[in-house]
Amino acid sequence: MEKRRIVKELAAIVGSEWVISDPVELTVYECDGMTFLEKGPPDLVVLPDSTAQVVEVVKFCDREQLPFLPRGAGTGLSGGAIAVQGGVIIGLNRMNRILEIDLANQRAVVEPGLVNLTLTQAVIDRGYYFAPDPASQAASSIGGNVAENAGGPHCLKYGTTTMHILGLELVLPSGEIVQVGGKTLDCPGYDLTGLFVGSEGTLGIATKVTVRLLRQAEAIKTLLASFRTIDAASEVVSEIIATGMIPSALEMMDRHIIKALEEWLQIGYPEGAGAVLLIELDGPAAEIEAQAKGIELICARHGILDLRIAQDEQERTLLWRGRKGAVAAVGRITHEFYLQDGVVPRTTLPQVLREIEAIAERNAFVIANVFHAGDGNLHPLICFDSRREGELQRAIATGAEIMRLCLSVGGSITGEHGIGIEKIDFIPLMYSSDDLEAMRRVRVVFDRSLRCNPGKLLPTARSCGETHVAYRPHRVEREGLAQRY
Amino acid sequence: MNSERLTGRLAEIVGADHIFAAELCAPYAVDGKAPKAVVLPANMQELSEVMKFAFSERVSVVPWGSGTKIGLGGIPARVDLVVGLTRLNQIIDHEPGDLTATFQAGTPLREVQTSLRGSSQFLPFDPARSEQVTIGGILATNASGPWRHRYGTARDLVIGIRVVHADGTVTKGGAKVVKSVSGYDMNKLYVGSLGTLGIILEATLRLYPLPAVERTWVGSFLTGEAAACAMAQILHSTIVCTRIEFLSLFATQSVSRQAGCVFPAGTVTVAVSVGSVPEAVDTQIAAIRKLCHLDGAVTGSLLEGSAQESLWRAICDFPSASDDGRSWVMLKASVLPTKVLKTIHRAEALGRDLGLESAAVSEAGCGIIRLCWRDEAGSQEKGPASIAKGVEELRGWILHDGGSLVILSAPPAIKAGVDVWGPVGNALFLMRELKRSLDPQGLLNPGRFVGGI
Repeated sequence: MEKRRIVKELAAIVGSEWVISDPVELTVYECDGMTFLEKGPPDLVVLPDSTAQVVEVVKFCDREQLPFLPRGAGTGLSGGAIAVQGGVIIGLNRMNRILEIDLANQRAVVEPGLVNLTLTQAVIDRGYYFAPDPASQAASSIGGNVAENAGGPHCLKYGTTTMHILGLELVLPSGEIVQVGGKTLDCPGYDLTGLFVGSEGTLGIATKVTVRLLRQAEAIKTLLASFRTIDAASEVVSEIIATGMIPSALEMMDRHIIKALEEWLQIGYPEGAGAVLLIELDGPAAEIEAQAKGIELICARHGILDLRIAQDEQERTLLWRGRKGAVAAVGRITHEFYLQDGVVPRTTLPQVLREIEAIAERNAFVIANVFHAGDGNLHPLICFDSRREGELQRAIATGAEIMRLCLSVGGSITGEHGIGIEKIDFIPLMYSSDDLEAMRRVRVVFDRSLRCNPGKLLPTARSCGETHVAYRPHRVEREGLAQRY
Repeated sequence: MNSERLTGRLAEIVGADHIFAAELCAPYAVDGKAPKAVVLPANMQELSEVMKFAFSERVSVVPWGSGTKIGLGGIPARVDLVVGLTRLNQIIDHEPGDLTATFQAGTPLREVQTSLRGSSQFLPFDPARSEQVTIGGILATNASGPWRHRYGTARDLVIGIRVVHADGTVTKGGAKVVKSVSGYDMNKLYVGSLGTLGIILEATLRLYPLPAVERTWVGSFLTGEAAACAMAQILHSTIVCTRIEFLSLFATQSVSRQAGCVFPAGTVTVAVSVGSVPEAVDTQIAAIRKLCHLDGAVTGSLLEGSAQESLWRAICDFPSASDDGRSWVMLKASVLPTKVLKTIHRAEALGRDLGLESAAVSEAGCGIIRLCWRDEAGSQEKGPASIAKGVEELRGWILHDGGSLVILSAPPAIKAGVDVWGPVGNALFLMRELKRSLDPQGLLNPGRFVGGI
């Protein structure tokens, strides 16, 4: 039998215990963090332990003309790690070693399966950390962060993953190994490292990642400010930036999120709060003291209801608790939700949020908002119930309306989750056919036969116009037990 | 194609006033190769039409901003047409609340900074000759200066880009928001590609607020080792430096003359600036001063205002053309921060062996060193071949340490004897394929980029 032969040959490369072919076990890999639009179980999963094994597996797939895709922890939220065309998932979780820590030069070299937070934990006692901090950082892998150019609350000040990746060892879809970038900066040639970061596993597989480590700041200050309206909170955001401050995080939650959190965690947000702003400052102690005073004055001018300032690490964790539990909390007020990821220029936030409210009313949905206000990265959660006839389709259509809204003010349809399969039909809203053609020309340079994570990121004739299939949320998500970003 | 027909058709696109025919093209020569014509389009349509025409006639094109970085790159295979971008010089929009702005490629950096200052913001670019450079030129060469220590380079600051391709097609990448992961990050591909994949038409960039106060501490040290030790301590402390620069013996003397500062004879220099609210600047400068003194700084001074600006201008522009008229071969080494001093010493020793004067200025925290060599005063001019050999030798040593060495500018006779870029590793075939894929006829800046791209 063909499949049996393939399993046998792959087992010869990675060892039989590292090839998954049982249909039940494969269901674990039928989707990533985006559980609701489409699923696609792979034919096989292999778990290599070294670059050499990845090369052999990729070469095997090339010979057999099998589609394949890399997968980290599977926390992606746009379906980038779903095997829509079947084939082989190359799981990189076993390649999770820290290969080198060079604190004198503030660099580390790691394998792609290393969990993001593990790297920081390895160097924090010596005063360093790895800055990219997606909400999934306790689970997501650095290779996955590279593939998605992951963001996080602190990328307002420190930038997304791409700013922290200096070099990569890549296994190309042909099985060749190439080194791009390196431990030093400004390597001559095209910036292939920058191109690869955020390419969603379509250009090859990163097997080693050279990252920048940052020195921890002298001091951190976390403030939680509550306002009656989202407009007031948005104006505070704009004024903080306009005054010349760049906080390390500026996160906002609206009244729906506040309500959901209060029901769940009883955080004690003030009565009548329509928006909560979590502001974090880091840097030299004297600087953040002065900035915190400035922020208090700005808040006061915009009718603040309540201001809490963390006095120690424990209180800081407490203030972040609401923000970190926000998405999970929404599971308590709705059967399901569709989490969008649009970006708008910061100054358009009040207008865009009013529009989103209008979209919600027009479509008879509750849309809750929790987002990275500092960089205008919105996460509207469209609350719906797929048990009602046609509601899933209406939720998807509402999501599309929000994407169009973001584009109409000069924004983007995704700020940190990527295109994957979720937005593949929507990317032509943002880019012209010429723009997309330039990207296709780039893609074929790396992957001539288009077998590396096919059906992702760029629409092809086949996927263009395809409609998404039904949403089947995980139970844990429905019950608000898991957080999806 | 003959020059007359070329200029005739181009004049139809941009108007006869915006064409320089062959006899006026000498100032636009690249490594001694003068173009047949220079054309100055005024907008996207004109630039696109010019490129469509060049493509149809297989005319090679050199994009040109202000020409300050034209020394970068290998000797061009062909120079048919220079496309000057100085008329594409509009600040398209600037939204202070978003800390973003969009500029056309030919906009001078000087005008950008003047305009942004009104909103207490700036674009953190400070490459050499910042009075002349254009935004497009900075992006195409990924040029940088001391500010990169805190703010990164163009590749970190460009969030959106519009490019005219070899066949005249106009495409965009990114958006006008600071965070977007929609499609491939095409910005990264064009930044630093020396105009070989497309001509940058406009770009949206991330801006920064001007710090309330900025002050610079300048420490003088008797040895490079003491200076390196002080820098390492500063870099590994919680001090947030805006710029941190090391100047070798020769560079110290030259910069002190240019900036009108007095640095003790026989010393090397560490210059560190801190920008923040006044109290944070004071405490951090105090910490820097203390670290420098503990590591043996013989003197130190605090600069602000125009004295500070003169110093940083002199550092960015080093070596100054007005120094004594003799020209330098300029190299850029990129090494690990811990190897900066060793690399400078190596370059100086090699220079001595070759009978050359050496000077070095380094963004030490980033491991970037501008190395300069020239013939010693009064000595017989060294043959280009011996300098080319010296570059090879230094490069071999730097490569062994995991770094790279690129010629920023040198006479064509030297460039002819050594690869300007050096080896780029085993991904070169991908770079060649990208070039073929986006510029199939090889018309954009042919021969000037890595591996003869």
